[in-house]
Amino acid sequence: MYKDINKEKPMIMFIDLNSAFATAEQQAHPTLRGKPMGVTNRISKECCVIAASYEAKALGIKVGTRLSDARAICKDFVILETDAPKYHRVYQKLVAIMKDYSPKTRMKSIDEGIIDFHGMEPTLKGRSLVDIGYEIKQRVKDEIGDWMRINVGIAPNIFLAKQAAGWHKPDGLDVIDHRNLHEYYQDKKLTDLTGIAERNEARLNSYGIMNPLQFLAADEYMLKKRVFNSITGTYWYRRLRGYEIDDVDTKLGMIGRQWVLREPTHDDSLLRSYLSFLCETSGMKIRFRNVEARGVCVWASLRNGEFWQSKRMHKSSFYTNQEVYRRALELFNQRPSGADIQTMGIYCYGLEPSKKSQLSMFEDVAKAGDLTRAVDEINDFYGAFTVYSANTMAGKKVIKQKIPFGGTEYFELLLKTA
Amino acid sequence: MNPYEEINERVDIVTIYHASGNEQHICEPWKMRYRGQEVVFTVLGMRHPTEKGKRMIHAFNMSDGVNDYRIEFDAERLTWTLVYIMGGEYV
Repeated sequence: MYKDINKEKPMIMFIDLNSAFATAEQQAHPTLRGKPMGVTNRISKECCVIAASYEAKALGIKVGTRLSDARAICKDFVILETDAPKYHRVYQKLVAIMKDYSPKTRMKSIDEGIIDFHGMEPTLKGRSLVDIGYEIKQRVKDEIGDWMRINVGIAPNIFLAKQAAGWHKPDGLDVIDHRNLHEYYQDKKLTDLTGIAERNEARLNSYGIMNPLQFLAADEYMLKKRVFNSITGTYWYRRLRGYEIDDVDTKLGMIGRQWVLREPTHDDSLLRSYLSFLCETSGMKIRFRNVEARGVCVWASLRNGEFWQSKRMHKSSFYTNQEVYRRALELFNQRPSGADIQTMGIYCYGLEPSKKSQLSMFEDVAKAGDLTRAVDEINDFYGAFTVYSANTMAGKKVIKQKIPFGGTEYFELLLKTA
Repeated sequence: MNPYEEINERVDIVTIYHASGNEQHICEPWKMRYRGQEVVFTVLGMRHPTEKGKRMIHAFNMSDGVNDYRIEFDAERLTWTLVYIMGGEYV
């Protein structure tokens, strides 16, 4: 019934650290072990939980739950602020363990990694990936901490390996291949599949696809030409069958930062200070990634529910904080006057490799580059935001550097500010 | 609202340096004298390095079975600081 299933031996291992930040805090604080707890970026009455322990999840407290709601569910719920260096240590140790097994390892995020065992058969010496998976679980306990638990998924492609890692949480180890693919899909809902949320579910439902088995049975032509109306249909057809299509590095498209204001405001000097801070952090990220930008976009969501944005592509590229702020401010001044801003953000796009090593013919450009380099060196030595623009002062007091949830690109940069 | 009490005071620490064993436990604070009282640590929760500017700080999360303690060793100034105590009564 199901055509074209990939019968290759499963050689992809997906490792998922269970409730990573919360578990790391329970590891560090033995009195919190076995207790409902969570972490947030900045503790306030209405802050959101960004990671909840398994004990909290069992009570219905999950990512995004407000602290007030969490305390209504469980009055003893404990919340801690994030501690980037602690999580970085866990991340580093996990990467080191993974690299002992294959050079082809990749972290998808702070708490998820992939080991590709293709071509590693001689070094496995006949050991199965299941054996290696159990060994990695034990090493995580021995080398990071006895409270740390990971899920391991093994499959022919990244998608199925991730699904396998989530099959029996916490502390599970599962294999999905052509022999049990049907068994795995039959117990699942469409939204249990990574990449299928409500909108994609509705799209599939409208073509009579109500569960993963019907999704698997759908032919490629229908998925491509009707359901998704794009190459995405082919990707899903292959992904569901265990063929690798997700092993690609995404191109760096934009760099930016956003901020949710505690109280919506139209106070111009305050908003400019917030903008200046966002521009400084974006400038730091641009230089950290060794690129320059040509485009800048400033956006804001307003108290009345409206969304505003303005963007512009420039002929020349830029990388200094001052240049990011100058260009962003030009756009920001075009916002609806008197509008109360609730969330504001900036991103730079049109990214290209840095030309900082090239000497400039223009003295003022060279001076701006020298000044930025000097400030970066001071901040690198004494900690980020030791020296910063006077415009940023009010913003720096309230805006906190966030833990980068999705990617790991800015972890080193964040640690300088921790 | 924080579940811990910030202290940030210099403290006396007795440390054990193990000749072998896993890296996590190679250097382990054993006892602390804080405001005249002796605390004996029974569990090393986690040790991790962090930075203050270019100064290397080793952060240790310790427990005496009742409370959790965060102590930090400044590798440049050779000082131990008790950063906070998380009381068992909170949890």
